[in-house]
Amino acid sequence: MASDCGLPVRTSEGRRRSGGAGLSDHVLALRGVTKSYGQGDARVEVLHGLDLEVAAGEFVAIMGPSGSGKSTLLNILGCLDRPTGGAYLLDGDDVAGFNDDQLSLIRNGRIGFIFQSYNLIAQLTVLENVKVPLLYRARGQGGGAQRAQELLRTIGLSHRLTHRPSQLSGGECQRVAIARALVNDPILILADEPTGNLDTKTGAEVLELLEGLHRQGRTIVLITHDPAVARRAGRTVRLQDGRLKEAS
Amino acid sequence: MRERVTQLFLLALRNLVGYPLRSLLTALGVVFGVGSVIAMMALGAGMQQALLAEFGRLGLRNIIVNSKKPATRKKDVQTSQWQFNRYGLTRKDLRQINETVPGISEVLPVHARPELAWHGSRKVEATLHAVQPRHMEMFGLRAIEGRTLTDADSTGLRRVCAVRGSLFTELGLRGEPIGTSLLVGREYYTVVGILEDEPLLDYQRKAMNLDSKTKEIYVPYATLNERAGTRIVTRRQGSREMTDVELSQIVVTAEREEDVLRTVEMLQRVLARSHEDEDYEIVVPLKELTLRRKTQEVLRYALIAIASISLLVGGIGIANIMLATVTERTREIGIRRALGARRRHIVAQFLTETTVIATLGGMIGVGVGFGMSHLLAAWTKWTAIVTPDSILLALSISMGTGIVFGLFPARRAALLDPIAALRHE
Repeated sequence: MASDCGLPVRTSEGRRRSGGAGLSDHVLALRGVTKSYGQGDARVEVLHGLDLEVAAGEFVAIMGPSGSGKSTLLNILGCLDRPTGGAYLLDGDDVAGFNDDQLSLIRNGRIGFIFQSYNLIAQLTVLENVKVPLLYRARGQGGGAQRAQELLRTIGLSHRLTHRPSQLSGGECQRVAIARALVNDPILILADEPTGNLDTKTGAEVLELLEGLHRQGRTIVLITHDPAVARRAGRTVRLQDGRLKEAS
Repeated sequence: MRERVTQLFLLALRNLVGYPLRSLLTALGVVFGVGSVIAMMALGAGMQQALLAEFGRLGLRNIIVNSKKPATRKKDVQTSQWQFNRYGLTRKDLRQINETVPGISEVLPVHARPELAWHGSRKVEATLHAVQPRHMEMFGLRAIEGRTLTDADSTGLRRVCAVRGSLFTELGLRGEPIGTSLLVGREYYTVVGILEDEPLLDYQRKAMNLDSKTKEIYVPYATLNERAGTRIVTRRQGSREMTDVELSQIVVTAEREEDVLRTVEMLQRVLARSHEDEDYEIVVPLKELTLRRKTQEVLRYALIAIASISLLVGGIGIANIMLATVTERTREIGIRRALGARRRHIVAQFLTETTVIATLGGMIGVGVGFGMSHLLAAWTKWTAIVTPDSILLALSISMGTGIVFGLFPARRAALLDPIAALRHE
């Protein structure tokens, strides 16, 4: 894989006006975020008041062992879950109080997910998989089919457009997932152990892809337990027993 | 929007085709449900039409008064050797009806009695029907050879007759029937026409005053009146019996269908005045039709209701299999939600699938129903009429079934927690 993979650079049109005081250039900010499950005696607090700021264009790795609340944090960052307390500001909006529909829209338009197990839909072709986020765009936003094809071309998978995920290797699957994550031009890319299911070589290729995206100005938050992977990011934050600590 | 609907439809179709056996089993309930509904509706329509044909033949504006032998007789005279039977409708009745009952468009008298028909040495038991020429037209008596009776035959008092084909063959006659001379009773009649042999229904026989076994010979009423008279003398074991029934039937046609029942009442009054005994009966095809229609409707609705139950079962089957499908595709639902699908998108996706399956099942069901109804019709000798209306109805019902029974599984899918769904399997 070439280091400059020719992926489209974020245009200024994609960036939203950010609101809120003193946050003009932060893509996301967590302020005293807590998350607990259960009630009364059975109550378990998983995250204890997290503070985090990620500026536009940063590449941040969040490291932590299992049980540290990594998945919980990821779910909150990805707007799949709401914090119990505190504020989560994404591009200036406090999404903690958003309803299901609003959160869905944010996931669709502002966040690009990359999962450890790729999470492609088996019955769809490669191209169709990349086009899935286009189906759920806000009303009035059409098109994007061209973009999907273009992304796959720059990622080097034009020859696999009509194949099913079962016919692809792990690395190819993850690359399709990356293209899918980019199709709606998100402000934040959230990657959960993207190389976890890949061998070293393929994993390195995927990380190079991500680095390429970073170089083009995209904001990337990557969650991992592997220090070697974390080192590829510009900044590492440690998550330990539900608390965050800057590391590098 | 249209693009999205098309995409949903194509996706649903692809999922259907991807699991052909499961799709078939899912649709099966709807297939048979719709099939039975269509078959029942077709049979119902056929029954309706048959009913109308049966009574249409007799004329819905007709009131038919038949003479009948009364149970108790007041005027009979019995001596040791003779028994006189005189009963039934008379020419006086005919006159009175013509003169006093309003709202009538025509009145036709009929005199019918059993007679022996001879040709050479062969004889057959027949009934002689002396009718007005119009009578044959009114009751749809058609000649397959030659002609029926005409006004000229009446005015000319011609000794002509039109007979049923079966009578002819029983007399052992072959070859050209027209012009043959038959001895009926004590008069000779020339055959001018052969009538088709028809299988008649019970009510039709009763109304037309026909015995199921005997064969009819139709002659002009005017001829019989002038030449033969209406008395019959029979000899039995030494004693003699004389029967005099002037008119065996009077057919009264009301001007309008709405007037029929009123006219019946008036007829009853007129006849009651001059008849002491109950020596006549009034047959009203319209009344009988209305009665039969009511019973038939109840039957029809019952059949359709039962058929609808199978449709209900089909719908439950869809819901059931869809629930299993949703569980199977939990991961996929989680992924779509993570990528930004709103709940309504998930509902739409699964609802489309159930609706497509149900509608396709409905279409196949229409074909099955078509086959079933014709099979049943062949077996029961009823007719089946599949109308475009019933097809449209059945298709809408199957579509509706898909929507109604798909709603529950679709909502379940939409309400899944995306995080848990992503972890599934």
